[in-house]
Amino acid sequence: MNDVAKASFIERAATATPAPVARVVKGLSDRAIAWLFISPTIILLLAINIFPLVWTIQLSFTNYRANRPNAEVKNIGIDHFQSILTDPDVWAAMQATAHFVFWTILIQTILGFALAYLVDRRFRGHGFWTTVILIPMMLSPAVVGNFWAFLYQPQIGLFNYVISFFTGLDPSSFEMIGSVKLAPWAIVLVDTWMWTPYVMLICLAGLRSIPEYIYEAAEVDRASKWRQFWTITLPMALPFIMLAVLFRGIENFKMFDLVNLLTNGGPGSTTEVASITLKREAFEKWRTGYSSAFAIILFVTVFGLANIYVKALNKVKSR
Amino acid sequence: MAEVRLEGVSKRFGSVEAVDDLHLDARDGEFIVLLGPTGAGKTTTLRLVAGLEKPDAGRVHIGGRDVTHTTPAPRDVSFVFQQYSLYPHLSVYDNLAFPLRAPARRLPEREIETRVREIAGLLHIEDKLGNRATQLSGGQMQRVAIGRALVRKPTVYLMDEPLSSLDAKLRAEMRVELKRIQRELGATILYVTHDQTEAMTMASRIGVLDRGRLVQVGSPRDIYEDPVNTYVATRLGSPTINLVPRSLFAEVAAPAATVTIGVRTEHVRIRRNPNGAGRVKRIEHLGDQNHLHVTVMDTDVVVLTDPEERLAVGDVVGLELGKPLFFGADGGRLRH
Repeated sequence: MNDVAKASFIERAATATPAPVARVVKGLSDRAIAWLFISPTIILLLAINIFPLVWTIQLSFTNYRANRPNAEVKNIGIDHFQSILTDPDVWAAMQATAHFVFWTILIQTILGFALAYLVDRRFRGHGFWTTVILIPMMLSPAVVGNFWAFLYQPQIGLFNYVISFFTGLDPSSFEMIGSVKLAPWAIVLVDTWMWTPYVMLICLAGLRSIPEYIYEAAEVDRASKWRQFWTITLPMALPFIMLAVLFRGIENFKMFDLVNLLTNGGPGSTTEVASITLKREAFEKWRTGYSSAFAIILFVTVFGLANIYVKALNKVKSR
Repeated sequence: MAEVRLEGVSKRFGSVEAVDDLHLDARDGEFIVLLGPTGAGKTTTLRLVAGLEKPDAGRVHIGGRDVTHTTPAPRDVSFVFQQYSLYPHLSVYDNLAFPLRAPARRLPEREIETRVREIAGLLHIEDKLGNRATQLSGGQMQRVAIGRALVRKPTVYLMDEPLSSLDAKLRAEMRVELKRIQRELGATILYVTHDQTEAMTMASRIGVLDRGRLVQVGSPRDIYEDPVNTYVATRLGSPTINLVPRSLFAEVAAPAATVTIGVRTEHVRIRRNPNGAGRVKRIEHLGDQNHLHVTVMDTDVVVLTDPEERLAVGDVVGLELGKPLFFGADGGRLRH
């Protein structure tokens, strides 16, 4: 833009600014204007992130119950933390969470990477298939949850029908959601169906970042496809794979929506992951103080684990 | 080592004829330099020999074997890419050892180490063997890439502007080094460059490419002194050969169809002469030599002179042409 045009643009902006605003802005320093612009964000952040966090920390030391707002609130110190960490039910929930996180990540990473590897071959119509594969990820978890609840329905559900079609089992002889044995896997299956495309997408970005000439050099160096995969493809895509694992790990540690819609923790408490326990304590039993303490324990756990993991990730990246 | 033969090889990318009916015979132990500007098809030719591209027509022979339709691996060539195509997560040592560890070779680790250290010494990167490939400077990376090619004993070395990213001093050093290695190993090398110094100093023979066609193949001396057309004539020589209209030097005896006269800057003799046709317009002092720009009837002629020559801007001079080359209307060379 030349000077004349610039001047006239500034002029136009200046004349378009209402006089009272212009007068106020004129009196402010650059720093003050900067604050003015970021203050809405900061206020929102304080109101919906920082303030609840601080309040939760405070509540976790009390016997406060949200359904009895007028009852006397007593400070009970770290009693909640003690009882949570010694409660076998809580550990059962943590175990259910760990099981869920481990298997979803393992399966999704292997499948996601394999899919990415195939799509990266750039066969005919690979763009179309990439889009098709990505569809589950674009759906709302609420939709996916309800939809799979119907599929899993033992009498009318399509899932049981398809299994019986291929294996010859009686479709009403097993219940994905109702059985203690199958329910955890039912959730793993749905989460995998929904989120493998996401892992694939990140892995695909990793594979695409490997320059073609490295493969050409390896080809000339007489490295087999197998060796190329292990010495070039995998090590160079590893930071991306680890990133996908991090994202999926954090997400699934907090997993609530799918489980809530599919099993709501049942049958019994076989699929009661940590967030479901939290919901029950907070909004069914109304033990607000107790659940606040539990939320903080979960937060610290995931934050700590993620931090350790990010350190490892950075080490891999800097290689 | 082996000879390489290209028979009528063609390759097009879309509507671009990258290589067009190319014939080339590189004898065993020859250092062939393919010279040409960007887009002349040099790199494509190399990639066709390596098997990284499949020709649309023609045949490729390496060591007497027809390899036109084979993949790169069985051709057993080594390739130095223009980009440093190092394996970024491996150390310098492992990068150099990579081709030796190919399952087809089965070398004991002791021998691999000896070869790697030998090559590293040759390229002055012994102290970098433990580094990661990404922790090197551009020049060091390219030396590792060259080393990775030299560490093996392939049928033919293919090098795509391997020295272009090195600084001038290292480049001069590597030129000598590469030529020495080539002689010692008796290696067949196909070498791509647009740098005429590299071509002149290293080549057994130079192949000049123009838009996918091999215009002339010959010893550096042949190419320099006996170019087949104006295109080849301008490829070599610094400053570039003078190409002037025939009318400028009417007194020179030339074939009838001559349109352009070419004369190398060092072959123009110049003398102060008040009746001369030229006037000194500009003088470039290069220390060991001077480039004089002389205007003759609105045309600039560059003349290489001794720095002792005491001529000044504005001096009127007479020019005399030694070893003139004559070119016709199409740029083709005309001979007496």
